[in-house]
Amino acid sequence: MKKLRLLWHLYPAFLVITLVAILAVTWYVSSALRQFHIVQTEKNLTARANLIIDQVQDDLTRGNAFNLDELSKRLGKKTETRITIILNDGKVLADSRENPQRMDNHARRPEVAAALSGSKGVSTRFSRTLQQNQMYVALPVSADGTIIGCVRTSIPVTAIGETLEALYQRIAGAGFLIAVVLAVLSLWLARRISQPLERMRRGAERFALGELDRRLPISGAEELADLAGSLNDMAAQLDERFQTVIRQRNELEAVLSSMVEGVLAVDNNETIIRINRAAANLFAVEPETIITRPVQEVLRKAELQQFIHDAISAKEPIERNLTIFRGNQEVLLQAHGSPLRNAQEKKIGALIVFNDITRLRRLENLRRDFVANVSHELKTPITAIKGWAETLRESKKDAPDEETRPIEVIVRQSDRLNAIVNDLLDLSRIEQEQEGAKIELQQAPIRPVIDATAQACSVDLEKKRIALTIVCTDSLKAPINPPLLEQALINLLNNAIKYSPEQSRVIIETAENGPDLMIKVTDFGCGIPTNHLPRLFERFYRVDVARSREMGGTGLGLAIVKHIAQAHHGSIEVESSPGKGSCFTLTLPLR
Amino acid sequence: MTGHMEREISRLKKSILALAAVVEESVKQAVIALEKRDTELAKKIIQGDLAVNQQEVELEEECLKILALHQPVAADLRFIVAVLKINNDLERIGDLAANMADRTVDLVEDRADTAPFDLEKMADKVELMLEKALDALVNYDIKLANEAIELDDEVDQMHKQSFAEVKKQIRQNPEQMDAQINYLSISRYLERIADLATNIAEDVVYMIEGKIVRHIL
Repeated sequence: MKKLRLLWHLYPAFLVITLVAILAVTWYVSSALRQFHIVQTEKNLTARANLIIDQVQDDLTRGNAFNLDELSKRLGKKTETRITIILNDGKVLADSRENPQRMDNHARRPEVAAALSGSKGVSTRFSRTLQQNQMYVALPVSADGTIIGCVRTSIPVTAIGETLEALYQRIAGAGFLIAVVLAVLSLWLARRISQPLERMRRGAERFALGELDRRLPISGAEELADLAGSLNDMAAQLDERFQTVIRQRNELEAVLSSMVEGVLAVDNNETIIRINRAAANLFAVEPETIITRPVQEVLRKAELQQFIHDAISAKEPIERNLTIFRGNQEVLLQAHGSPLRNAQEKKIGALIVFNDITRLRRLENLRRDFVANVSHELKTPITAIKGWAETLRESKKDAPDEETRPIEVIVRQSDRLNAIVNDLLDLSRIEQEQEGAKIELQQAPIRPVIDATAQACSVDLEKKRIALTIVCTDSLKAPINPPLLEQALINLLNNAIKYSPEQSRVIIETAENGPDLMIKVTDFGCGIPTNHLPRLFERFYRVDVARSREMGGTGLGLAIVKHIAQAHHGSIEVESSPGKGSCFTLTLPLR
Repeated sequence: MTGHMEREISRLKKSILALAAVVEESVKQAVIALEKRDTELAKKIIQGDLAVNQQEVELEEECLKILALHQPVAADLRFIVAVLKINNDLERIGDLAANMADRTVDLVEDRADTAPFDLEKMADKVELMLEKALDALVNYDIKLANEAIELDDEVDQMHKQSFAEVKKQIRQNPEQMDAQINYLSISRYLERIADLATNIAEDVVYMIEGKIVRHIL
């Protein structure tokens, strides 16, 4: 249904109210007038009848019909009234408009009957004599206490009607005039009420269209002024909110576009919501052209599409390395995908962040290759030096000390250099394998590993006559890489032997501690000052530089232990008190 | 009902584009593997072809399902018919990429270093053709499709040249025959891929205009 304007609600209502009021007033006034007129006419007729009674009383008593008739005709013409004089038996004696001889007995006429019975008779009815509606008033004429007849006066009702008609017409004319004036007035009034509202509507429409800087004029009735004020306030607030939203969006846009990482947001249907400049460059696309389009249409990279699909269906953030091809160039990307949620915590898609790790990976490979190559390259000359120095030492066995000492130094130092290079190679190998997750862990018993360690160090143990105690059950198993664990334990045991005095003890004990396996290597040697403990596992860190070298340490042993522990997803800790000894605890998970 | 079919069709479009991405990438990777003599990558491509075959079957079933359930007409029908054909072509391209990878493995064993013809140029052209055909599919772009169709002649010409070149090489160095035959096969595979890319472009034209442009010169 079509909505009407407020004006067309107000105006007809005004009109109806006006018309009803005018009609009601007119009706009331005219009926009152009519009543008044009838009463007046009746009074008038009564007065005339009374006047006539005085004149006819004598003649009536005498029965002078001729006189009476002549009188009634004369008076009737003068007063434009029909006058009838009737005897108490109903016989008409005189009439101003008719020959009384020809008139029938009037005793039964209601007004005459009333008059003959002594009271005033009033009646409005059709006159058979005159053939029209008449108003009659009849008054009794009495002589000496008896009613001898009555005098009846009457005028035609049409006369009353005509008078009233003229009045009615004037009233109707005035009413119509008033109605027209009021119609115009109420139109003006309705407009006056509806126009400010109309203005406000237009203003609100402008607000809706975003023209928030224009304000509504505050005028008119209090309510309307208040409404305009409220609308203005609303517009101001909206304006502020919009500005804030726009500013925030611009900030976000700026943040996104200045990010080095590529950012891509997709909805649940794999449609692109947002992509930043870096990501667009990564995939060689234009951000403007691909937003709101499905990933499959615009990013034709199979691995990427798969990753996006997985990121949307995954509940947890996911991470993967992707290889994409830009031209014929291989680009290695590290991609993080996390679910995108709205304010109601409902999942609306996924956010994917890309890191170009091509260069990083290349550098890493370079570094790794470098360490391995350098170590390899160093080994060859060292072996040569060592070989020749040993040969030289053999040949100069009997020479004096001054000659053999330099050779001894060369042999010892080349041994040390060899050990360092070996350790470096080990370290880089473990690191490499750990990165590539190539270290295989298998469920294996611990005891054989510890026994092998003891076997490997048996010569040093015997040389210093150190008693080794092993506490370990045969059944104990853990996911380990036996050769690596053996190397770690050898390093720990070697250290323990090195820093223990002769004829002391070293204990290797194992214990299960909840989900972990602990292997403790305890010695009762010189111990380590507390301030050195935190850095003990760093490469080439030495507690006592001179002494360590003297003992032939490379400075890498504990670093290797640490890496091996990490390769087993475990850790290494140390407790020590100077002068009393040290305890290294290797903690490995049992599962 | 209509909404349902629209959803199915948009899903179908996504699937065919996903398959296109996989196939396009495997062609690119096959070329890279060949240029770098990367047997690891070549083996990965040969493995990947199995997934492509699987996807092809699924896509075809999807098409048949829509045809049977929704009885599409006009543009929708043309789209599904085109998808059926493009699907087929893509699977064939995938096979050819895998074949190229096979030849790469052979070539590494043959220790043949240089191709007797400009392999890189030919591969670039074929990749460009495929890219244009697929872009035409994505964007419903007749102009791109026609460009792809036009490129086919150049690739055919290149293949003819490499055929002549290989023949010459075999005559000169009969001991390198195995490698030369492998190179010839690769040239042929590339030419076939170009043909299939042309087919895809023609199907795209059909899908958009409802006009079959095959065999029109």
